[in-house]
Amino acid sequence: MNFKKLSVLAIVVLLVGAFVVGCGGGNDEPADQGADSGEKQVTIRFAHWRGEDKEAFEKVIAKFNEEYPNIKVQQDISGSEQYRAKIQAELQSDAGPDVFTTFPGAHFATLQEAGVYADLSGAEFLDRFSPHLLLAGQADGKQYAVPYQLVFNIPVYNKGLFEKAGVEPADSWEGFLEMCQTLKDNGITPIIFDSEIGPGQFMNPMLMNNMPTDDALTRVEKGELKLTDDWFVKTLAQFKELKDKGFMQDDVLGTRKAGAAALFAQEQGAMLAQGSYMMASNKQQNPDIKQGLLAPITVPADQAKYEGIHTSTFMIGINAKSEKQEAAKKFMEFLFRPEISAMYANVTGQMLTVNGVEYESPELNEQAKWLEKKTLFQPRYTLTVQEVEDAIVNSIKDVLGGMSPEEAAAKAQEEVERSIK
Amino acid sequence: MKKYWGLLPFIIPGVILYTIFFAIPLVSSLALSFTDWNGISPDYNFVGLSNYVEMITDDPIFHQTFGNNLKYMFFVVIFQTLFALIFAMFLAKNSKLNVFYRALFFFPTVIASVSVAFIWIFVYDPSIGSLNTILKLFGLDFLKQSWLGDKKIAIYSLAITQVWMHTGQVMIIFIAGLQSIPKSLYEVARIEGASRWQTFRKVTWPLLAPAATIVVAYTTLQSFKAFDLILAMTDGGPSYATEILSLFIYHEAFRNFKFGYAAASAVIFLIIVSLITILQFRILNANKVTYN
Repeated sequence: MNFKKLSVLAIVVLLVGAFVVGCGGGNDEPADQGADSGEKQVTIRFAHWRGEDKEAFEKVIAKFNEEYPNIKVQQDISGSEQYRAKIQAELQSDAGPDVFTTFPGAHFATLQEAGVYADLSGAEFLDRFSPHLLLAGQADGKQYAVPYQLVFNIPVYNKGLFEKAGVEPADSWEGFLEMCQTLKDNGITPIIFDSEIGPGQFMNPMLMNNMPTDDALTRVEKGELKLTDDWFVKTLAQFKELKDKGFMQDDVLGTRKAGAAALFAQEQGAMLAQGSYMMASNKQQNPDIKQGLLAPITVPADQAKYEGIHTSTFMIGINAKSEKQEAAKKFMEFLFRPEISAMYANVTGQMLTVNGVEYESPELNEQAKWLEKKTLFQPRYTLTVQEVEDAIVNSIKDVLGGMSPEEAAAKAQEEVERSIK
Repeated sequence: MKKYWGLLPFIIPGVILYTIFFAIPLVSSLALSFTDWNGISPDYNFVGLSNYVEMITDDPIFHQTFGNNLKYMFFVVIFQTLFALIFAMFLAKNSKLNVFYRALFFFPTVIASVSVAFIWIFVYDPSIGSLNTILKLFGLDFLKQSWLGDKKIAIYSLAITQVWMHTGQVMIIFIAGLQSIPKSLYEVARIEGASRWQTFRKVTWPLLAPAATIVVAYTTLQSFKAFDLILAMTDGGPSYATEILSLFIYHEAFRNFKFGYAAASAVIFLIIVSLITILQFRILNANKVTYN
């Protein structure tokens, strides 16, 4: 064979190879009819960001397969930050996950507007939830995603240290400051704060009673209210007061989430300004710690509208492009059964939105008490423009970094105006 | 010319791969930069140059990001090159001890950036971090800092981590450059009575220029592309104090869902990096000498 013939053969082999590869890789499994017939296997892909729940979901999936042996569920897990980027790209393709999760607020709003969700309105499993906890997954009167986890975005406190200092959770701003002062006088750092998630979490209870209306942040986004208004500047001033009075540990802006959690678990501070989702890991780090939840009330007791903040999150939806939507719905229906949810909750330590779940751990029972209290859906998640959220969160960091509340509010308002113009 | 046609099949696979994985994405990015695509919606509008105009004239975060990137780049290029050169001068000879030290200094390079980030987050932690603890131990409390929390110094703290991570890698390039300098030139310099400094200035440095050019260009690119380390350590915070261009592009695309705007930033990023690299090559090549 001469050189020319060899070259031509090489090209042909390359092209045929490319053609074969191009034609392959498709989904060789049948769509829904397989699930229904009970004969053919269907594999659905479940994308989420909770690596720590992998084992719990594996147990749920094993139970699911006892009932539906022909539907395999494959978990596809990424870290929460990478997940946002990855899911967006995957949902554009035809090879996206069948079941996927989203964060409430801006993340859900963007994906919903892009039409990636199958409509779940009318699904029977929705009756297992309290209607107000489903709101975060609704748009245009339709249910696109089901928030599965229930989180209270208010500080976790160390009951032992509170007892030692002889203080109780306060029900007014004056009382909160006194409580912090007493803790400080007893050599206890009142608030452990981190710069990673702390501002985005603690802003919610700080704002809940200061906002002129429950939808104040949405109105900021619409240009109807400004961050330079009194209610927001007052909130920033209260952050500053907590910092200036030494009620937070040194160098809050240099402290990361994990560092703050470690300090709290080591009982070096009385309150951890994160949320109820930290209780399970705090307990793992320090099995002797007794924890409760409290919220800073930023107004006099008789003016307080809310006692705390809740978020229904980890919103599970079905990909509108999926050819296996019926199998995906079966998985969701199974996951949302109270006894299955209890299994998941008690392994992960996560409170759920499903009614009738029996919780076993003291931490979950402590959180369950808050179901009876008057809580507001996390204001931060009512924002649909990420840059507005960033502007608000950064104004808190600016104040904690030494900027005056007025200056930080003005800077944030400028960013808001630039984002929404 | 005809005789080269037979070689064509061997070039085609490379051209195809280059076209698919480089040329097409590049052209797509350029096209996207003229749209307001949010990265997921099937619809988008052509917005002309408005992404570029907004970025250059009306985006304080982009301006701050660009400033941060320059600070980061200058710090990393200066200190990484300097330390790498000093270490290379000491470790150029192939003794057993030197080989051990080279491996030791090279080691941080082989650790994943995310692992390095986690190590340094705990080094810098204000409460449980080793840096402030050591300073306190030696009675140097006045030097204790909020390494990642202070907006004025956070970018330099990150740059220190980058220098720590990559000095060993750059040192290897300098060592290769030093070992390629003919020994006879040093002998001539010694016979002529040149001092150590004169020998370095007249022999070592000029003949090291090609290696230095590579090092400076590589370090510049590296400092512009230092994405994962910063993402894991500060995610651009506090208040954008450590946001650099690569992170800005990522945040615009995947947090703010502004793909068109992110594509425009990527084009600007490409232009900036290209200009700086060309400039550096010209300056450093001007110093290049040849001794016959």
